[in-house]
Amino acid sequence: MAAAKDKDREKTLLYVPGEGWLHRLNPLTRLTGLGLVAVAAFALPPAATIVIALVATLMGTVAGAGAVFLRRLTLTLGPLALALFVVHGMLMDHPNRFGFLGLDLSHDGLMYMVKILGRIAALLSGSLVFVTTTHPSALLKALDSHGFPPGVSYLIASPLLLLEPFTQRARAIREAQMARGLDLEGSFFARIRAFPALLLPLVTLALADIDHRAQVLDGRGFRARPRRTVLDAPKDSPRQRLARRVMLGLAPLLIVGAFFWH
Amino acid sequence: MALIEIDNLHFSWTPGGPGVLAGISLQIAAGERIAILGANASGKSTLAQWIAGWLPTAAATAETGGLTVQGKAYGDHDAASRPGLAQFTGQVPMQQLSGFAFTVFDEIAFGPGNLGLPEAEIRARISDAIRICNLEALKDRDPFSLSGGEQQRLSIAAALAMQPEILVLDEPTSNFDPESRDALLDQIERLPAGLTIVLADASLTTALRLAARFVLLDAGRIIFDGAAAALLAHPRTAEIFGLPEIRLAAEYLQSAGLWPAGVPMPQSTGAAISVLRPLLAASGVSQ
Ligand SMILES: Nc1ncnc2c1ncn2[C@@H]1O[C@H](COP(=O)(O)OP(=O)(O)OP(=O)(O)O)[C@@H](O)[C@H]1O
Ligand SMILES: [Mg+2]
Repeated sequence: MAAAKDKDREKTLLYVPGEGWLHRLNPLTRLTGLGLVAVAAFALPPAATIVIALVATLMGTVAGAGAVFLRRLTLTLGPLALALFVVHGMLMDHPNRFGFLGLDLSHDGLMYMVKILGRIAALLSGSLVFVTTTHPSALLKALDSHGFPPGVSYLIASPLLLLEPFTQRARAIREAQMARGLDLEGSFFARIRAFPALLLPLVTLALADIDHRAQVLDGRGFRARPRRTVLDAPKDSPRQRLARRVMLGLAPLLIVGAFFWH
Repeated sequence: MALIEIDNLHFSWTPGGPGVLAGISLQIAAGERIAILGANASGKSTLAQWIAGWLPTAAATAETGGLTVQGKAYGDHDAASRPGLAQFTGQVPMQQLSGFAFTVFDEIAFGPGNLGLPEAEIRARISDAIRICNLEALKDRDPFSLSGGEQQRLSIAAALAMQPEILVLDEPTSNFDPESRDALLDQIERLPAGLTIVLADASLTTALRLAARFVLLDAGRIIFDGAAAALLAHPRTAEIFGLPEIRLAAEYLQSAGLWPAGVPMPQSTGAAISVLRPLLAASGVSQ
């Protein structure tokens, strides 16, 4: 039962355990890579973004996350492609029209669709490479051991950890209120009226929780010293440090370059 | 000078609200093991939070009186040394988690890591805490997926890893089955003698095992402060804790060799008191 709950969290995290080279990279290297992909997705022309998306998907598949990629990419890109095709390829008044299988299509509209899809695909597959190969705890330790302020890591960790207990509590409140006769399954207006009865206890609890947790953190010396000791920090290497510098250096070049291309 | 001195402390959670602590004066010496007992809402957790330095806060301050530890208010000790002074584990297990760690191991490592201790020292502290709280099998688990009793063990482990001078436990065994409770109490009894332990509880079982001194709270006042035998003879004890507990207590005395040979276990408070009175008189305790 409890082990099943552990599994649930793994599922919401999308993380896929592995031992390949991508998994063994320092999380900060992957994070920098993701940053570069994000910049490139907007700076580079469509052909390049499609290449990025393909390479990222290939990397993810080699790292063992093929199923996640397939599912997320089709779920996101499928409906989007359809919408863009109908709106920009057919309906909107783009020039360069031609007939195909009885449809009145616009060449420019379709190019626009490819451009948007390429960007989204590059962004999405880049992010997927990151989240499927990076456990958040490894990211936290990497940030901590590189001297990032503890507050930053806390902002990443606590939502991931606390979301689940919080959802459970919301469900408990809902059930308790319904047991006391609150109408949550009636008409739209009945539900609107019931909303404060659900929200108030949750907000009150959340605030009390924050108060309490702040004291727990103080009690354990959080931020009492400028630097924490991190156990089992992810390995780093001079080569990776160099790679990160190169990527950080490339990003502004891409942005400047984009101005000239467009 | 006592380690903790509380002087005529009047406190309510909201300004002008009902008095939750109504004139508490109490001194606790280093190394003492003391239980704060009482009915629900008698103010045990509130007093425990004062002793651990969680109170006062900006919003909730003493009306009169206050508390000092090692001669100074908690607020006058510096932030980095306070975690080593006192640790508190509260009544709601999940609320004790830092929200920073994805495994039980990391949750215990969180506090010592914050203090910037050397890695070897942190690892030693973690393995001690894991052993004492019997967490070996759980160390890679997600803290938020643990059961209530497991979370309580984890929060005690996390507190112990800070190596505090004062350990304040608020109903630490309320979610425990009797076997895990006994296992944990065995381990706590073996903690270094210099550690001051303050236990807040609404049941006698844990208190009698752990403490040598008992404070009985009633509506925010101390109505009793003394040893086990006298606590059990106090008229409010049976009213608050009920008969089964009295019986358990008598059994405890018997196992400790304090119950007169040949006298049956008491079936009522009256019977218990009639056995205890002569004992107390003989040992010079008067009521
Ligand atoms: N954070 C808080 N804010 C406002 N009131 C509080 C708070 N905590 C406790 N109280 C109130 O203070 C009084 C004493 O509560 P406290 O938690 O100290 O009792 P307790 O003896 O620990 O009870 P229990 O056995 O139920 O744990 C209660 O009336 C309670 O409602
Ligand atoms: Mg309490």
